[in-house]
Amino acid sequence: MKYGEKIAGVAVTVLALALSGCKDKGPSEGPGEMVLHHALNAKIKSLDPVFIQDEYCLTVCSQIFETFYQYHYLKRPYQLVPLLADGIPEISDDKLTCTVRIKKGVYFQDDECFSEGRGRELRAGDFVYGIKRTADIKTLSPNWTYIENKIVGLDEFRNYTKTCKNAADVDYSRKIEGLQTPDDYTVVIKLERPWPQLVDNLMADVRNAPMAKEAVDYYGKDIIAHPVGTGPFMLKEWRRGSYIELVRNPNFRGEPYPDEGEPGDAEAGYLDDAGKIMPFADKVVWTVIEESQPAWFLFLQGKLDAKTIPKDNWDEALTASNELTPKMRQLNIHLLAVKDPSTFYLGFNMQDPILGKNKTLRRAINHSIDRETFVKLFFNDAYDIAHGVIAPIMASYNPDIEKMGYSRYDPDRSKELLAEAERIHGGKIPTLKLAMQGTSTFYRQFGAFLKRYLNAIGLEVEVEYMDWPTFQAKVNKRGAQMFAGGGGAGIPDAQDFLSQFYSKYWAPGSNHFNYLNPEFDRLYEKTEVIPDSPERRELYRNMELIVLEDCPAAFLDHRVRYVLVHDWYKNYKPHVFAYGLSKYRRINLKKREEYPKLLKTLEK
Amino acid sequence: MTAYIIRRLLYTIPIVFGVLLLTFVLFTLVGGDISMEIAGKNATPETIAEIREEYGFNKPLFFSWDSQFIRHFKSALTFDFGRALDREPVIDKIKRGVGPSLALTVPMFFGIVIIAVSLSLLVAFLRGTVWDVVALVLCVAGMSIPYLSFILFGQYFFAYKWGLFPVFFSPDLSIPQYVALPILIGIVTGLGSNLRFYRTVMLDEMRADYVRTAFAKGLDARRVLFKHVLKNAMIPILTQVVLAIPFLFLGSLLLERFFGIPGLGYLMVEAIGSRDYRVINAMTYISAVLFVIFNLITDICYALVDPRVSFD
Repeated sequence: MKYGEKIAGVAVTVLALALSGCKDKGPSEGPGEMVLHHALNAKIKSLDPVFIQDEYCLTVCSQIFETFYQYHYLKRPYQLVPLLADGIPEISDDKLTCTVRIKKGVYFQDDECFSEGRGRELRAGDFVYGIKRTADIKTLSPNWTYIENKIVGLDEFRNYTKTCKNAADVDYSRKIEGLQTPDDYTVVIKLERPWPQLVDNLMADVRNAPMAKEAVDYYGKDIIAHPVGTGPFMLKEWRRGSYIELVRNPNFRGEPYPDEGEPGDAEAGYLDDAGKIMPFADKVVWTVIEESQPAWFLFLQGKLDAKTIPKDNWDEALTASNELTPKMRQLNIHLLAVKDPSTFYLGFNMQDPILGKNKTLRRAINHSIDRETFVKLFFNDAYDIAHGVIAPIMASYNPDIEKMGYSRYDPDRSKELLAEAERIHGGKIPTLKLAMQGTSTFYRQFGAFLKRYLNAIGLEVEVEYMDWPTFQAKVNKRGAQMFAGGGGAGIPDAQDFLSQFYSKYWAPGSNHFNYLNPEFDRLYEKTEVIPDSPERRELYRNMELIVLEDCPAAFLDHRVRYVLVHDWYKNYKPHVFAYGLSKYRRINLKKREEYPKLLKTLEK
Repeated sequence: MTAYIIRRLLYTIPIVFGVLLLTFVLFTLVGGDISMEIAGKNATPETIAEIREEYGFNKPLFFSWDSQFIRHFKSALTFDFGRALDREPVIDKIKRGVGPSLALTVPMFFGIVIIAVSLSLLVAFLRGTVWDVVALVLCVAGMSIPYLSFILFGQYFFAYKWGLFPVFFSPDLSIPQYVALPILIGIVTGLGSNLRFYRTVMLDEMRADYVRTAFAKGLDARRVLFKHVLKNAMIPILTQVVLAIPFLFLGSLLLERFFGIPGLGYLMVEAIGSRDYRVINAMTYISAVLFVIFNLITDICYALVDPRVSFD
């Protein structure tokens, strides 16, 4: 055999080996099968509720696991309704005991971890077991702080787990006074002190979903890839980092689609399926697409049902007045604007010797930034300007906050304040350092923007661009002088925004500003035990004013997501606090099938 | 030859030890403790301590039987790299990623080599003509245009606009379907630099006396090029080709990311971004071992293709 033939032979063999080294084909869409196609911007790290840390894991896990309560899909303001619970929780007069009854006839999905592979009925103990797992220090759950110092006896249980040598030594049959199950359908929770967010944070958060102990025992550490829940869907395949496919759970009891919503829902078609049994879809597929270009192309090809508009495709999707372009209208694409419960800011480290002791300097910086130009330049004028820390969609948002002028762009006033700040400092302010949490074009442009405005009032700024872990480490070690960051609320309660300023959560906690104000702390602790009421909302507003007055950050914007939806995608009503929403969604298969023809017609 | 191979294999021991020491120093001493990142927001010191215990960050660095370095050493030799930050065994991640990565990089690599070597022979033969100049200009252009531009352009026109290939990975596509376009783009982007390199190699050979002698004897161009020139150019070609093979294992970050190929390039960059040292360490170690092995293979190949090289 000649050399050339030998080389070609080797090449073909290696090629064949390479191709055979992978799974050849994934699942395909059967005729008449209703499949929801979604994109995820990041990889799913775990399908175990105790390890959920981001919205991507929440999104997928919420289709598989269920909670006692859920947010009503259609009604606004957001309100909690029973899911696994049989009725509303009974809360004692002293607000320290909460009794929840759970529905009978709820079954876990079939799985080999159960006897004969058949899912058993959900019991109250499964909820307690889920909480105990989070409390067990051997589990290493990052979610412990959400339930720390709240439930009677739970912290003692955690201390007990610290004394165990190995994870297997932890005795989960130990009783916890604050988590009792008088029978298989009742959970009694006893609290150390009133906890107004008890239902939102403990019973409507999938991180605390009931877990089957059999599953955890059977799969051990691999439970992260073997979710066993009671929800409408169950895992069929998870090709990590690539895609995840859920199929209908045949053991799901069925749940009726809501028959009431807010005004306008009936006209928008959100009540067309009222009373019908969910879920509607046979499968839900998420493909991980981290780059915006392929996701955008797939959406336009009709291979994704909905998509937020990427920054680079804004002009293709929307006109200057943020309305759909003729091309989008011809494709029967709809636009939805979703206000996020989020606030982004330029933060100051209050422990920094220059910035921390000089409120006037912080205020000078605050008034030097033109937020209007910022939102126009970076977000096509589609985001809301932040006048305070609480996002506008929260009930405690202060409608007069803009008039108070904390977010006013006033370079002349800034210069005056800077002169005063330099007098306090005892000379010219040295070069300030600004940490940016990314090195991408966006962060470089954002850094350049902030530098430009600070330079304009006479401040020297050095912008440091770094990757996310380096940024996180710097902020956690309280080493960042100024930093661009943001935060949001996971429940319809402004506490999540304000907890960022509570002194017990200094970095590496969520108070990255290392801000301390005893009066703020006092009010924060007061609001922790007051249920939602006009009084608590007023306290929140007062706390926000304290923060604005002390100026540990210059608040910049609140995110508004612009979502494009194909017209075959039904019941797509945006919801910013709930994640298990695939059960509500339905596909008009006929319209979807006709879309390629529509595309071809338009191309011609 | 056996003695030579054994001797070379023995040389690899200090090299692998050096790699292990270097990765340990880089990821443990310089990289720092990542317990706080695993622990999440508002973590208590007890949780961080427990994580340090679980991951062994609280063990002595060097001078103890259960030191972090000994564990690092053991994990490398047994290929049991522990669990990544997302709690999945590192070796499972690598096994899963190696297939898609090789499905992309192997055809791409051989495509580039075969086309570039063939074209280089042709261009070398046509040296000084307008075709040579055109090839050179195209090579320089191919090397100057950013890699990302080829990807964006290829994905827009070939996949989205003309629908010749899928835009992105989808579970209902077979591997050849979703790697075809990235392979094509990879070949086009890789041709410029490779063709220039091989052209230089071929030109050096074309100027040699034996080529003139062969033509003087009246041998036809095909015979001179493929039998004599190609054979004599094999040493630099082998060096370039065999030493590049271990890097195929690392995949191609941008192509994998833009086309949704769940390979090792993607895994490596993601691990660097999240400071997942166990994954980075495993990938670095495996790459180093592969590099050493392929270096040895290169030396053996030299002797096979060139009778002047001996194992002594």
